[in-house]
Amino acid sequence: MEREEFHLSDQELLQSADGELSTRAGGRIEAHLAACWSCRARLRSLEDAATDFARIRQQTLDSQLPPALLADEGPRAMLKAQLAATSGGEASSRWSSWILAAACLGAIGISTALYLTIGVARSGAVVFAAPRANLTPGAVVLLSKEQVCSTERANNRAVPVSLRRRVFEAYGISNADARQYEVDYLITPALGGSDDIRNLWPQSYSSTVWNAHIKDALEEHLRAMVCAGDLDLETAQRDLAQDWIAAYKKYFHTDRPVEIRQ
Amino acid sequence: MADAASTLNAVTLRSGESAPGELEQEVIRLFTALRHPLLRYLVGIGLGIHDAEEIGQEGFLALFQHLRAGKSRCNLRGWVFRVAHNLGLKRRERVRESGELPAVADPSPNPEDQFSSAQRNMRILAVVGALPEQDRACLDLRAEGLRYREIAQVLGMSLGAVSMSLARSVARIARAAER
Repeated sequence: MEREEFHLSDQELLQSADGELSTRAGGRIEAHLAACWSCRARLRSLEDAATDFARIRQQTLDSQLPPALLADEGPRAMLKAQLAATSGGEASSRWSSWILAAACLGAIGISTALYLTIGVARSGAVVFAAPRANLTPGAVVLLSKEQVCSTERANNRAVPVSLRRRVFEAYGISNADARQYEVDYLITPALGGSDDIRNLWPQSYSSTVWNAHIKDALEEHLRAMVCAGDLDLETAQRDLAQDWIAAYKKYFHTDRPVEIRQ
Repeated sequence: MADAASTLNAVTLRSGESAPGELEQEVIRLFTALRHPLLRYLVGIGLGIHDAEEIGQEGFLALFQHLRAGKSRCNLRGWVFRVAHNLGLKRRERVRESGELPAVADPSPNPEDQFSSAQRNMRILAVVGALPEQDRACLDLRAEGLRYREIAQVLGMSLGAVSMSLARSVARIARAAER
């Protein structure tokens, strides 16, 4: 192509454009460029190409990263909370981090969507009337109360097969046994729960007392309370994540599920 | 990027022990400066936005531990990108193994687009899509404003190899654009 002794290489040209040369080497390149039309044209072509790539890449990524997801406040609050928990030592639970994050978020009035993982200290979970906290701590899309209440209550989205498989694997449920379970959201999407593996657990069909219908009733009740302003959304999410059966007893003021009319 | 650069300098140039809470603030400042470029980079290599966000958080927690342990403050931007890059590759592998589709935009143009007014862009995307992964990573990191030495640090390459890779890729893009 070009005769190397008389012309600059692509590498030298790009290094020069990127300010990556030493002062001495940069001076030599500058001097050559001042006297060589051909190298100046190639430099321009490389710069244009790099700029074009950056522009196209930006456009492609912008379509995948909507502004709401790029808002810094929520993630920054989350990191602050995690740093505080890390600094505070072992006493800080992940749940308290989340509370702190939620408080920060509330303070700055964040209403854009952000995925957060809720970690909840639990013990003695009933397998599988309630999920295992280490596998299913609960995860939410951070939405404002208005966002939650402005949408129609719809049936939960179907969980993709691949995700169902991962949930069963995590819980050590074999293919043969999988038919006895449905994969359920711990925090219902109607209250901001996300379709993240950490918010999904296998609920046994054979749970006759504390079953999915009972949990649905609780979710309906909590959503109605949240939308009526009687309960804040974060509390509803936390109570569902922490122990939905205890939440049922608390909000329905009963130790047994009330009769459900189908 | 000017703000990000000044924050980086402020963080990078600091030395010595931090007062309680100061280190957290420093990490938060760096997070604010680098979150967008880091998310774009991770989404660009094929991660979904939520995975990218989590890895970002994980990377900055790791940075906090790193600084708290009194380790090197040299080139923290490169350090964070390197940690995120490595975590990102692992996460991507796991997502692929689990059979879920990676949330990456296919850079290859479809046949209809070949004939649209964006033909030039499509040719560039096709060239970039066909680059070896490491060359693509160099380009992406450069587009996010990293210096060559930082790219070398992130990808574990020599400075010369980064420079050669970038020159080769940009020259290919230039040829595609001019066709």
